[in-house]
Amino acid sequence: MQTFATEVVDWPDTAPALREQVRALVAEHGEPDPVRRANSWTKADPAFSRRLGEAGLLGMTWPKEYGGHERSQLERYVVIEELLAAGAPVGAHWIADRQSAPLLLRLGNDELKERWVPAIARGEAFACIGLSEPGSGSDLASVRTAARRDGDGWVLNGQKVWTTGAHVSHFMIALVRTEAGSERQAGLSQLVIPMDAPGVSVKPIIDLTGAHEFNEVFFEDVRLPDSALLGVEGEGWKQATAELSLERSGPERYLSSMALFLELVRYAGPQDNPALEELVGRLAAEAWTLRLMSASVAAKLARGEDPALEATMVKDLGNSYEQAIPQLVQAAVDFGHNESAALRAVCFYLLQVSPSFSLRGGTREIIKGIIARGLGLR
Amino acid sequence: MSDTRRMLAETADPLFAELGPGATAERDGDRLDELGLPLLMVSEADGGFGGTWLDALTVFRLAGYHGLGIDLPRMVVARIAAEEDERFFHLMAFARAAQIAGALDAALAMVVGYVNDRQQFGRPLGKFQAVQQSLATFACEAAAANCAAVGAAQALDEGDAEFEIAAAKLRANRAVEVGTTVAHQVHGAIGFTQEYALHDLTRPLWQWRSEFGNDAYWARRLGKDVIARGADHFWPDLTARTD
Repeated sequence: MQTFATEVVDWPDTAPALREQVRALVAEHGEPDPVRRANSWTKADPAFSRRLGEAGLLGMTWPKEYGGHERSQLERYVVIEELLAAGAPVGAHWIADRQSAPLLLRLGNDELKERWVPAIARGEAFACIGLSEPGSGSDLASVRTAARRDGDGWVLNGQKVWTTGAHVSHFMIALVRTEAGSERQAGLSQLVIPMDAPGVSVKPIIDLTGAHEFNEVFFEDVRLPDSALLGVEGEGWKQATAELSLERSGPERYLSSMALFLELVRYAGPQDNPALEELVGRLAAEAWTLRLMSASVAAKLARGEDPALEATMVKDLGNSYEQAIPQLVQAAVDFGHNESAALRAVCFYLLQVSPSFSLRGGTREIIKGIIARGLGLR
Repeated sequence: MSDTRRMLAETADPLFAELGPGATAERDGDRLDELGLPLLMVSEADGGFGGTWLDALTVFRLAGYHGLGIDLPRMVVARIAAEEDERFFHLMAFARAAQIAGALDAALAMVVGYVNDRQQFGRPLGKFQAVQQSLATFACEAAAANCAAVGAAQALDEGDAEFEIAAAKLRANRAVEVGTTVAHQVHGAIGFTQEYALHDLTRPLWQWRSEFGNDAYWARRLGKDVIARGADHFWPDLTARTD
């Protein structure tokens, strides 16, 4: 039984030059604060996103017609792993570049594509995803937010919750019920909702560190044109879940604690401490393995395959790894000295946010259930 | 997979399955010799097979998968490196990582088959969520071990593979801990008997974990290297190894 067919990745010839370009850009405009370099794909910095847009590093694979650069999927992969390894503040555009624009390009009508995709490629339009609702948790099919036909448009009512970045986003792609009385996965559709539409309001949810990433989003008689429908009416569930491999296998699923690992290496330098050497070695081996696995999935996606099971495994292993690092560092390092101050600051920040790592993008239990299905147990 | 590798797999798979854990070099060594397997990595000019390390991975992995009782990987490596050499130690660490990857996949297949068959409380064990979650964890570990072994083989084919072999053996070693624990737990008492074949996989797995570098050995070696290079080199070094 082989559940993960490893792809020997043929890295693009342009990779070294692309890496140099990203490293130079991050050195110039990146994030100087070591704490903010951790978990950096959630750190919004619109100015940095615009800078990436100007440098041609957003929308890398999209058609030139829509502001893209028609480069390969693996070239894009090189850029995003460089950004994350450097702890660049990429949170503003992350979801739009990873999921929303590709979804719009695949299923959107001309009006939606022209309105949003070029602006995303410039680093000027950001997106959020409206899935969770109060009470739904991991049970996404329990969506109740509803849009009903009204003349040649839609009227939307309901509420989304845990919406990452809604407060810095220009539009939301939401999963809503468009067929009255439908249940579970049936009768759902995806709508594109401008965040400045009358009737849309955003209320912050402050996390345990005091940071504002999540929101509640309310829809009160929000009027949308017919063209707000993305793809096919009633196919929303299939559309929304089809691209989860893009979301689950990326380097953001194992690199969230890279900033802490690097601080650990820096700290261990003068220590001559066998326990720290062992910990560094163990974490380095895991990072190397996860990078191979993640890139292997990327190579399959680039060929048009959907390695959904492999992608899910990368997320499970990656989340466990990035979540374990702060606990392991805390257990191994004496924080009572001045020279460990930077390490301590990054570690304590990550200790506090790391519970979310195995929640976002599908909880560990849901993810393991998907793997069990892949093993033929469900 | 290349045609050579497919051919190798199609030759080795049924033979290793037939020979199995009970195979001995004295009785069955000739069958391996007939196929030229011990000469896998000897160049064609010297009368060998002239294989790549990805070819070797395929064969070593299958040896692990079938719990082959003959230490074929050692025979292969001994043909191209002297036992006292550092290179021998490295290549054997790679070989054990590949065998571990194969044996973990075989143990996973065995345990999945078992939980689908075995009924308890009126339904197959595999229908219990707790069992499913354990097996999902196992599957991820087996996947990581396999991926690491491929990464090391690829690096060997390209030249310097010191980092990759160290990382792959360490990753494989760690997968042994979770894999063997879950496999035995889920099998219950039957897996603890001599009549049931699980031990043909788990006993070698425990042995291979401690051979040619245990976890502490490779973790320390890797850690010392990474620390000596410095934090600012870690990621550029990692990417430069594949670019």
